Amino acid sequence: MKLLYKDLLKFIIDKPSIEDLSDNLFQLGHEHEIEDNIFDMELTPNRGDCLSLLGLARDLNAFYNTNLSVQTYEEKIDPLDLDFINQSPNDCPKISFLELEVEDLPDKYHDYLESYFQNLQVSKNNFFTDISNYISYELGQPTHCFDKNKLNGHISFESKKCDKPFSTLLNTDIELKGKNCVFLNNNEVISLAGVMGGKSTACSKDTKKVLIECAYFNPESIIGKSIQYNLHSDAAHKFERGVDINSHEMVLRRFIKIVEQHAKIKACKITSFDSKAISSKELPINLDKINAILGTSISSDAFKNILVKLGFDITSKIKAPSYRSDITSQNDLAEEVARVVGYNNIPSQKIAIPRIKKDNNKLNLESLKSGLKKKGFYEVINFPFTSIEKESSITLDNPLDSNKKNLRIALKESLIENLLYNERRQKDSIKLFEISDTYCKSNNLEQSLKLGIIASGRVGHNYNNFSKKIDEAFLLDVFKSVFGDKDAAIEQIPRKNLNTKIKNNIFYIEISLDKLQPSNINVFNEEHDMEFNKYTPISEFPSSSKDFSFLIADHSKYNKVIDMINKIQGMYLKDFFIFDFYKNDKNEEIKIGVRMIFQSNEKTLSDEDIKDSISKILKPILDIDGVSVPGM
Amino acid sequence: MSSFNNINPPELIDEVGSFHPINQVKDFLINLLKDFGFNEVDGPEIESEEFNFDMLNIKKSHPARQMHDTFYLQNKSNLLRTHTSPVQIRSMLNSNPPLAFTSSGKVYRKDDDATHLPMFHQVEGIYVDSEVNFAQLKGLIHQIIYAIFGEQVKIRFRPSYFPFTEPSAEVDILSKNGKWLEILGCGIINPVVLDNCNIDSNKYSGLAFGLGVERIAMLKYGVKDIRDFYKSNLDFLNQFK
Repeated sequence: MKLLYKDLLKFIIDKPSIEDLSDNLFQLGHEHEIEDNIFDMELTPNRGDCLSLLGLARDLNAFYNTNLSVQTYEEKIDPLDLDFINQSPNDCPKISFLELEVEDLPDKYHDYLESYFQNLQVSKNNFFTDISNYISYELGQPTHCFDKNKLNGHISFESKKCDKPFSTLLNTDIELKGKNCVFLNNNEVISLAGVMGGKSTACSKDTKKVLIECAYFNPESIIGKSIQYNLHSDAAHKFERGVDINSHEMVLRRFIKIVEQHAKIKACKITSFDSKAISSKELPINLDKINAILGTSISSDAFKNILVKLGFDITSKIKAPSYRSDITSQNDLAEEVARVVGYNNIPSQKIAIPRIKKDNNKLNLESLKSGLKKKGFYEVINFPFTSIEKESSITLDNPLDSNKKNLRIALKESLIENLLYNERRQKDSIKLFEISDTYCKSNNLEQSLKLGIIASGRVGHNYNNFSKKIDEAFLLDVFKSVFGDKDAAIEQIPRKNLNTKIKNNIFYIEISLDKLQPSNINVFNEEHDMEFNKYTPISEFPSSSKDFSFLIADHSKYNKVIDMINKIQGMYLKDFFIFDFYKNDKNEEIKIGVRMIFQSNEKTLSDEDIKDSISKILKPILDIDGVSVPGM
Repeated sequence: MSSFNNINPPELIDEVGSFHPINQVKDFLINLLKDFGFNEVDGPEIESEEFNFDMLNIKKSHPARQMHDTFYLQNKSNLLRTHTSPVQIRSMLNSNPPLAFTSSGKVYRKDDDATHLPMFHQVEGIYVDSEVNFAQLKGLIHQIIYAIFGEQVKIRFRPSYFPFTEPSAEVDILSKNGKWLEILGCGIINPVVLDNCNIDSNKYSGLAFGLGVERIAMLKYGVKDIRDFYKSNLDFLNQFK
């Protein structure tokens, strides 16, 4: 909700600065951003009463001297004889109607009204709807204006099953489904109550005679309708969060006043249908309880003073104002007190939680994971949504998209996807695992904790493993190192359906961890020294790897060369490792194979970029006598 | 001069893998809370409306219950839990105060954009005893935040709204660039929730808090894009050894 600083100031006699107002709004729990003297409020759903200038001013009365009244029409208004029946008072306990006719329509608006449309970039519609929108902004009560000349005969409010098309005043055609709260005129739906009025009875630029509806709808009767029909509605937002049931007369008198400021009123009549008395909640005065909840020692005077400033009525009991339907308990009152005192001003207290030892026979997943990590495996976490539907799959009623409408019953597909993703990024040694609950249905819902391990490509990058490919024996060895003698079914995943040109074999194991005992897992202890290293963003540009074979003819230079290789640095150099080591006893020569991987975070590297970097990296090494890179 | 035979091969480096950074942060938080005296409890990711909403005082009219926020399953018979709080409900139903539980895990919301994911992780804690109050909650939250971000960090409490706590607060820390960042939500457990769990709210009170693991991980590691956590990119994962 956006509102103008200068409009809020109209209610606050002290005229605080925007910064001071902002601080106090935060203290009261009203999050917001400020841009160009406009507050963009993000109010919590329990505070529907604050969705207006008046509402926020009422809360700010805790800190400032305010003037919470607005100019209203004070003359006597004739009663309106309206052919109306409220068929569902549970959904709408109170409703008022104002019939208003003007002689002619204004050419322009008063400054305060014009400013609302200009500064908040609200689009104008027609005279009466514009005032209705302004009043909702000012007082928080939505009203709806029907063009009186388009109404004919009996009007009713009903909650009924209606499956029929409905055109809104914004020219959106929707298909009403199931039970809806609606206004009917001669059995035609003229308004989706609390959400949006219909096109057939909407006001136009020429409308001079209107029937203005001002209602309190039960939030539970309205909730979900604007989403169901995809209608963006300020009225629904307010009704869903609760409006002030006792505001109707003041709101309608304000409506007349604004009309009167712009046009000559020809006729004006009012009526109200009060089907059910809703009285404000009364709570006992229990300051001890308030102090016990907060851990404070607030005095009785301070307590009462705070509540009175927030509009509460205190006699032998505490009565919440009619707009505060969120207040139902002593805990709610404690929050009111804490908001005004300031959460940050309540001193912290030390707390010692008693040690209550519980038996914990939890499987030590950390030991299992440490075992895999030691063998070079990376843990991944995947979303559970999949397009694969099995007989036992659990389906989502409202998936993000149709490719994500089932919950996975196994981890395999996710891990294959992770493997292919990394292969596409030139990774040649991929070892991943995931541990996750999976769900399926048979007779009942079944939950199972699963471990999936996938591996493909080189065993590793060091000179012992570089030329070895991951095979079944490798994965079995990894598995046994963690699980001892437990049996494992290793699966080779065929590549033919995987849309990839890479040929390395893919091996996979998936087991359920449900029945595993802690004794089934070998113990791997890891030091727990949590360090949070800052990470470098990953590049989406391709990497390029270059291999170099250093020939050391003078073996006395060997240590120096190794030392320099271990410290190489260069532009775009992302990684390097020694993948080959060979001692030629006959010639007393040594060969060291080094792979360098280049990648930029900003661009795809050209051959020139890489060549430049390489020559700078190699120069100090090649400057050593007796060291060369054959072919360079 | 060294003889050729004495030349040793270069050091053989065995690459180790890594735990997922989200699980590292989650485990760090759980261990921290265990040190404070919380007992770890687990619960299912598929929940009923009763445990995910009703028992937590989230009424049918609450916006969170609308189809657009919650993934419903099998013709609305179940749902993917939208928070780890139902675990606390199940644990409270099975124990008597004093009790202190922490639960963690995956939670789901129907969201998918640059800053929201359909799945993320939470760590929660509750403590119920005879005289638990808001000032103590503040003390505990300070201890937790100091343990995560260091004792120099500036902390701000703001009133907020969660149906299961009253009073409710959101807690911000001041970042290096002078902006307040939301870190956790907390509050005094709403007496209605205690009563729902057969705990006499006239005798006992409780505190509750919940942390978003991704949020903490992003701040601690400096990860800018939340989606990076779930790409399974080895260049990303190998930075968290």
